[in-house]
Amino acid sequence: MNHKGDFLSLLKHKDTLQVDGETSREPNTKALIHDAFQLPSQEKATYGTTLEIPEATTVVAMRYNEGIIIAGDRRATAGTAVVHDRAEKVLPIDTHSVLAISGAPAMAYEIARVLKHSFQYFRRSQLQELSVEGKLRTLSRLIRENLPMAMQGIGAVIPIFALYAPQTDESKNGGKIYFYDALGAHFENVDFATTGSGSIWIRGVLRYLDRWGETQLENMDQQQATVTILRLLDTASEYDAATSGYNAKAEIFPTLKTITRQGIETLSDQYLAECYAEVT
Amino acid sequence: MRDLPYRWIEAIQDRRDYIEDQLRLGSPVVGLPYTHGSLLLTVSKGAQKIFEVHDRIALSAIGHPADIERLRMLVTDTASVQAFQSATEDVNLHRLTHYVLAHTFKQAFEAIVGEAYIIKMLLVEIGNGDAATQFTHINYDGNVKVQQEAAVIGGTTEIEDAMQNYLASEQNDAKPDLPTALQLALKTWAVGRELSQRFEEAEDNTEVTDEQIDEIINTELENGEIEVGVLDSTLSGDTKFRLLTQDEIQASRSTN
Repeated sequence: MNHKGDFLSLLKHKDTLQVDGETSREPNTKALIHDAFQLPSQEKATYGTTLEIPEATTVVAMRYNEGIIIAGDRRATAGTAVVHDRAEKVLPIDTHSVLAISGAPAMAYEIARVLKHSFQYFRRSQLQELSVEGKLRTLSRLIRENLPMAMQGIGAVIPIFALYAPQTDESKNGGKIYFYDALGAHFENVDFATTGSGSIWIRGVLRYLDRWGETQLENMDQQQATVTILRLLDTASEYDAATSGYNAKAEIFPTLKTITRQGIETLSDQYLAECYAEVT
Repeated sequence: MRDLPYRWIEAIQDRRDYIEDQLRLGSPVVGLPYTHGSLLLTVSKGAQKIFEVHDRIALSAIGHPADIERLRMLVTDTASVQAFQSATEDVNLHRLTHYVLAHTFKQAFEAIVGEAYIIKMLLVEIGNGDAATQFTHINYDGNVKVQQEAAVIGGTTEIEDAMQNYLASEQNDAKPDLPTALQLALKTWAVGRELSQRFEEAEDNTEVTDEQIDEIINTELENGEIEVGVLDSTLSGDTKFRLLTQDEIQASRSTN
């Protein structure tokens, strides 16, 4: 039996679903375990090559007065082709945490899915929520194990992980933002983070706003934070072909979510349309 | 021993007596539907007895804690792997019951040279879309009983019958709200608890008065705590299970 609440080890060990040596008769159980999630390619990476990370997107997260606001554009590209204009890059993982992805979508979605199941499995088996540190390490491990794919230039994933720690003192902001490198190192608890090809155009703006802006990012209310994020994404889309702006004709808005003490909320298109009135 | 059928049957009967004897004093569990989902209620002393298995499935059991833990992990592991390999919507109580739990219970019970599981399990699943809520009662010998209106587990079949009769006399057709369902579940639990303590002296008398119900609740709550797990279809997100806090339980108890 798996007593550690480690979902990956549950998937990897085919003898897990047994009670005292009796194999479960669950149809396909053995096959399920056999075929269970194989962490990306075990092939040898070509070391010494430059790590090129295809991360054609812009995702951004920042702290505001109620927690975290986290956003991503909707464009998915392959080279210079736009292949999809409704991609979701901001993915809820549990009630209080969100992963914003940039990089190879196949790996990124899989990492998000494994993460979601890992957190759930830990809670269900160990009867308590996985700690913030535990969640961060799980994600680190997934990114690190994805390194061979990253080294081959086809599967790098550089996410932003944001969460709200509900046990935080009521008077404090429990929102936390973590960003990662391709090796899985996490850098924690910053006021803002952005990643993806469009991020270089807005990172400096974020720093400027936080330091010298009229209202510091963390003191903004939801409306101000939303308008700021929309303006940032608009700026990124102006200079980065892989980042989409607001498509008024098709009414495609970026994805914006807030994470507060109450949980995750997806900001509605109607609300975003009202905020856009201030952007344009 | 299998070549001597009478000895085998005798051994099975001994095993049945032994397990029932062990289960007799177990704190009963009551499962009831309410307007927005279903609840499981028991009174426990320290250790948690109501568990989340999957998004829409919860579990409770009476018996030996080690057996409960082992089988809880088996069903949780299986559901988790299945959900990951396929989709969360593909995990259902029917399959978990019939392909994972029931035969494991039966095998252990009938393998008379090995250890038997001292356990009775109650699982509940709230339907997704049109699917109905169902309660599944699994006996230590692998027998499965599926019910839709309500379900109980208690130390003996007689205790369970008395609890079901009490429920039938108090339940009406309309689904109650959460406080009403919680109060009814607590009273039903008290009926089972009273009988499990009384049985050895007066096996035939299954009458429990309202005064006795109140008295046993008061006595048992001196050392124990009410534990309520709900599957609440109104919860946002995939996971519909949560344990009520003691404050919520007290608030529900004092609602008229």
